[in-house]
Amino acid sequence: MTGPLRVAIAEDSAVLRDGLVQLLADRGFVITDAVSDPDALRASVERERPDVAVVDIRMPPTFTDEGLRAAIDLRHRHPGLGILLFSQYIETRYAAELLADGAAGIGYLLKDRVADVSDFVDALRRVASGGTALDPEVVTQLLGASRRTDSISVLSAREREVLSLMAEGRSNAAIASELVVSEGAVEKHVANIFTKFDLPVTQSDHRRVLAVLRFLES
Amino acid sequence: MFVSGSKMVIVVPEDLQARVREVARTILRAPFTRRTWSELLFLIVGAALAAVGLAFVGITVAAGVALAVTFIGLAVVGLAVRGARGFGGLHRNLARGLLNEQIEDPAPFVHRPGFLGWLQAVLRDRVGWRAMAYLVVKALLALVGIMTALSIWIDAFSCLTFPFSNHSQPAEFGVARIFFRPGFVSIQSSGFLHGLAIEATGVILFFVAPWATRVVILLDRPLLRALLGPGAMAERVRSLEHARAQTVDASVATLRRIERDLHDGTQAQLVALAMRLGMAKEKLATLDDPDLAPVRDLVDDAHRGAKEAIVELRDLARGIHPPALDLGLEGALSTLASRSTIPTELTLSLRDRPTPAIETIAYFCVAELLANVAQHANASRASVSCAQHGAWLRLVVRDDGMGGAQLSQLGSTSSGLSGLTDRVHAVDGRLDIVSPLRGPTVVTVDLPLHA
Repeated sequence: MTGPLRVAIAEDSAVLRDGLVQLLADRGFVITDAVSDPDALRASVERERPDVAVVDIRMPPTFTDEGLRAAIDLRHRHPGLGILLFSQYIETRYAAELLADGAAGIGYLLKDRVADVSDFVDALRRVASGGTALDPEVVTQLLGASRRTDSISVLSAREREVLSLMAEGRSNAAIASELVVSEGAVEKHVANIFTKFDLPVTQSDHRRVLAVLRFLES
Repeated sequence: MFVSGSKMVIVVPEDLQARVREVARTILRAPFTRRTWSELLFLIVGAALAAVGLAFVGITVAAGVALAVTFIGLAVVGLAVRGARGFGGLHRNLARGLLNEQIEDPAPFVHRPGFLGWLQAVLRDRVGWRAMAYLVVKALLALVGIMTALSIWIDAFSCLTFPFSNHSQPAEFGVARIFFRPGFVSIQSSGFLHGLAIEATGVILFFVAPWATRVVILLDRPLLRALLGPGAMAERVRSLEHARAQTVDASVATLRRIERDLHDGTQAQLVALAMRLGMAKEKLATLDDPDLAPVRDLVDDAHRGAKEAIVELRDLARGIHPPALDLGLEGALSTLASRSTIPTELTLSLRDRPTPAIETIAYFCVAELLANVAQHANASRASVSCAQHGAWLRLVVRDDGMGGAQLSQLGSTSSGLSGLTDRVHAVDGRLDIVSPLRGPTVVTVDLPLHA
């Protein structure tokens, strides 16, 4: 990708919207638009064609799941657009709906995560380049909702940690630095997980997220 | 009336004249009005219905009493009450249609899921018992009606049609005896005068009959209203229930608004604050000045504190009103089940959406019960089912833990559950715990779909 990433922001709270604009501009993103409702977002994406959109789930008019509806809608119209959904709460049903069409270029994070600025910016870049960024809470819930409890219990504690980080959309390098182990060790754990789950090994990060999620859902 | 000269003149005041004319007109017209024939029809159909109703009540109650030692006896009595309610409804509709009597429907029969729920509700069904009382009194009244009003009609017709029949005398039935027996009309005699006398009796009875009918119906009307209407107590209960439902709904709406205000205000501001502290923290980290170390520590603390505050505030807000409920119970419960530390299976079958207040109570019940399972039950699996049974919502939370849970015990160990039973009772719901030692524990919560 060439040039700075172009970001659209849809967030109805002015204080948070301004903060996000400031943070992302500071980190070298180009803000195409910062709007406060889903319709303005749709129009803006149509006009400006950003690389990625940061979307609050609860927005006017009903303050329930407008952001999610807009995100799913935008995904269908602009398959290349990365979407980072952003919410005070993680709901299992929202995650399932969002990931129904694949995990490429999808993120679902708690709003708290902006407090850790670099992690948040990394997640946004990952989503913009077609990767996945799922909140640890999303992963916990997906694991909790999974009926494959028997398969999961076969994993070692370390493998479970790797599985969670992998499901969040992290690369092997990121997992290695998070767990303070070598990349080679991570690769070994990943291979073990795929063997135990009987899944085909795949190189791309978001494909393996999807493989893991599909497995958990089945 | 006064005397003038030798001539006696009777002066009748004009208004009295008019009244007499009116009364005469009313009496003469009565047999030909729609009202009279409706009332006669009510008398006949009502009497037939009363006979069937009395037979039904007699047989079922007798059977119930005979079987009283067994459990079936109660069920049969329940059937009697339920049936009486049905007969009551027929009488009520008859009165509405034929007597133009404005009787409101009593509250519909509702019962908790299951046979025991039905039995309990039906035996306590005041409407059913009152209807049964009506059926008994109505049977007596019907007998009186047949012996008086109806017999007058029959006598009137048999007298009027006497010339066309080949009998020597009219049918002798009911009150007509009063006219015939004391020799008012000699029934032994025959001939033209005899026939004329019978015919005249027929005409008199024909004009008397509507009023006899009206008197009998007049006795029935207050009974209909008192025993087949909603009843004063029931009316009061209904209005109180309505007021309570409004209060419960209003409090849920208020909590929802508080949560939304928190979300849009304080929570958003805290996130923005934590974000700015995060930016400051990262900027400070890039500066290599030893003097900045204490500042760095301060900002780190503030950053951590802000993040903790966000989490605490989120838990608080979720405890006030879980926002996922805005889209229905299903999504909210699936998040609860998957957040539970014990693997939890969720099954849902709801046809109608409960009111927000009921959804909220159901949500907090499941949240509290799952938290209890995780804390105390030592369980490896749990299941939550949420199903609709008629006008009721039944929640069942089951775990394979060690059992031995009691409501009082649960109430003291978790502040939430005792509050929950109060909230469940506040909408006439019920919470039952079956928890033998060594498990499994099954908690059943029944809630009406509408508060």
